Amino acid sequence: MNSKNLIHLVSVALLFLWGAVLLYFYASGRIAHYLPPDGIFRPMVLVAGIGLMIVGLFNLATLHYAAADCCGHDHDQGHDHGHGHAHDHAHDHGHDHGHDHGHDHGHDHGHDHAHDHAHDGCCGHDHGHDHAHHHAEPAAAVAHDHGHGILEESGAVGRLVAILIIAAPVTWAAVRSPDQYSANAVVNKGLYNQNYGSTTRADQFSLRGDGGKNAVAEKEATAKATTAEPLPQAVTTGAAGATSASAPVSSSTPPGGAKETKSYGGFTLADLEAQVPKSKAGNFILDVPELYYTAGDKEVQGVITGQMVETTAQVLPEKVNNEDGRRLRIFRMLVQCCAADARPYSIPILFSETAPTFKDMTWVKVAGKMSYQQEGGQTVPMIEVTTIEETTAPDNATIY
Amino acid sequence: MIFAALPEPSRTGDVLMAFLSILFEGAPYILVGTVLSGFIDAFLPAKLLDRVLPRNKVLSTLMAGFLGLIFPVCECAVVPVIRRLVQKGLPVSCAMTYMLSAPIMNPIVAISTLTAFKEFQKVTSIGEIGNATMTLSRLSLGYVVAVIVGLFILRFTAAQLLKPSIVAGIVGGGNGDSEAVVPAADFNTKLVQAMRTAMRDFLDTGMYFTIGVCITSVFNTQVNQAVLDGVAGSNVLAIPSLMGLAFILSLCSTSDAFIAAPMGVFSNAAKLAFLVLGPMMDVKLLFMYSAVFKRRVVISLLIGLFLLVGVLAVPWMSLIQSLAAQKP
Repeated sequence: MNSKNLIHLVSVALLFLWGAVLLYFYASGRIAHYLPPDGIFRPMVLVAGIGLMIVGLFNLATLHYAAADCCGHDHDQGHDHGHGHAHDHAHDHGHDHGHDHGHDHGHDHGHDHAHDHAHDGCCGHDHGHDHAHHHAEPAAAVAHDHGHGILEESGAVGRLVAILIIAAPVTWAAVRSPDQYSANAVVNKGLYNQNYGSTTRADQFSLRGDGGKNAVAEKEATAKATTAEPLPQAVTTGAAGATSASAPVSSSTPPGGAKETKSYGGFTLADLEAQVPKSKAGNFILDVPELYYTAGDKEVQGVITGQMVETTAQVLPEKVNNEDGRRLRIFRMLVQCCAADARPYSIPILFSETAPTFKDMTWVKVAGKMSYQQEGGQTVPMIEVTTIEETTAPDNATIY
Repeated sequence: MIFAALPEPSRTGDVLMAFLSILFEGAPYILVGTVLSGFIDAFLPAKLLDRVLPRNKVLSTLMAGFLGLIFPVCECAVVPVIRRLVQKGLPVSCAMTYMLSAPIMNPIVAISTLTAFKEFQKVTSIGEIGNATMTLSRLSLGYVVAVIVGLFILRFTAAQLLKPSIVAGIVGGGNGDSEAVVPAADFNTKLVQAMRTAMRDFLDTGMYFTIGVCITSVFNTQVNQAVLDGVAGSNVLAIPSLMGLAFILSLCSTSDAFIAAPMGVFSNAAKLAFLVLGPMMDVKLLFMYSAVFKRRVVISLLIGLFLLVGVLAVPWMSLIQSLAAQKP
């Protein structure tokens, strides 16, 4: 087998490798840890996986075609036309041009001459050869290669490195990715730097149902009066599965910075009960992001303070305002577009005495009384724990 | 259908996880771009671009900035495409402008920006389109920066800007042998050629993409992002730090608005800088551009874009806001 065919086959194998990784992660469902369920990205993984297989198979099937018409042919031609080629050089500026830039266009040079610029590849010269070839007999311009792919034009070492770069990281990652972040990454991604009272994804996790969402959307409009009617959001609500129970609330909202607790109009315990499911023990079942965003909503906060809530999250030690060791921090990872942009949403949980120790990142089910404290210039939501127990990861370990 | 027990989370695992997620996000678009590139290579007549584009290079560069509206591609897909278009005779200035503007000036990105910044609600009729200030600022600044860069490189020749292997593949190349290159090949042959080019380009682009994503995922998981929060409040540092973030995160232009919008503490001008620079230059693009342009050009592009976007972001944001405010 000549080196051109070998490179062709290696290229096909690399396409199969990437395609197989995409298809495996899609088919096994592991993609759920990497990309959001809605939007175009997940389907695109399937499409690309199939696409890579098709391009690979097509190229595999046409290896002979290509070889017969391009490479094998070239070899003969190259030698036969050795003189003709040199002759072309004399009047072909294209070739001179190429040489000026240190690129090897000479077909026969590639194999026969030591002064070749390390371009000992077989495709690197195809191009130049084709040019000469066209002059001589244009009809034979079959499958001509304009390509100077990295695998064709580099030296042997360069090619190996290129193959390694294309193949190794993706293989390593596919085999060794744990599908979840370690405590280290969670901390780096901002576990202890929370901005309660932020409104950026508040509409998604508001306990107000559609009415609350609209209020948030309107609040985010600029101070300029706008006649726009709030469109229904396509965003799905969190685990609370909010139905549009409450009527749209007043749109008169005070302007101000993002950090303070704001008023969004009336909210009652009845509203909360209409929006949030309860556990058998009578605790409101909420996710951490929902608890997180209650800190920015005065009325919701007023209603939920002192209520029993229950949430499932991962746990890490608390590092701020924890001199007496009575706190832990629980968090959920939220992803916007892909797992690389995952951010932890976290709140502290408070024990009446020294907090128990859990292995980092353990999934726990926490129940307790909701409370708020002013710390570090913001309202921090926290749970005063009555019970905490280890549990298994929920199906939606990552929230999108 | 998981073959083996998953490894325990670890620092290495964090990097691999981030790596895979960006790869899953980007690889499909690289494939789209490279298949497109393969078909351009095989089926697009070399002289077509010459005929379609205005003779005046300034005019054609101005037009190239809008091409993204017709051929919407994100930044992963555009690199292989422009490489092929250049070889088909597209002037480098046009290619550069198209490459920089297409990932911003395109309908998909406009919609995602409108959605992320909740600007759909503000635009209920054509007359109120000015209310979508972030989307308008992003698209217009992206266009302006791309055109400035394109016009600036007009003075250079292709050989000064492009890698020798790309220059060598330019059809015609101004050396008078162009008439000989249009192959009188049949459809099957062209198809074979298209697929072979697609494969080669995918691996080429994929290699540089892989290098960029490796670096990005290390930054993404091993560096404490709180470093950035410290500078968010400062006007002087907010813009460069968000541009730095855009550079390091290497997000897809179709989705970066969703990352920028929630950054509550940063000013709109800083977010604008993030949204304009990110699609034009980031770690993965730095390497992907290296597949086409000379290293010196890529470095100049890096510095030039940082300066250009950094300087223009604040005045541009206020300009668009004041224009929008003037509307009745």
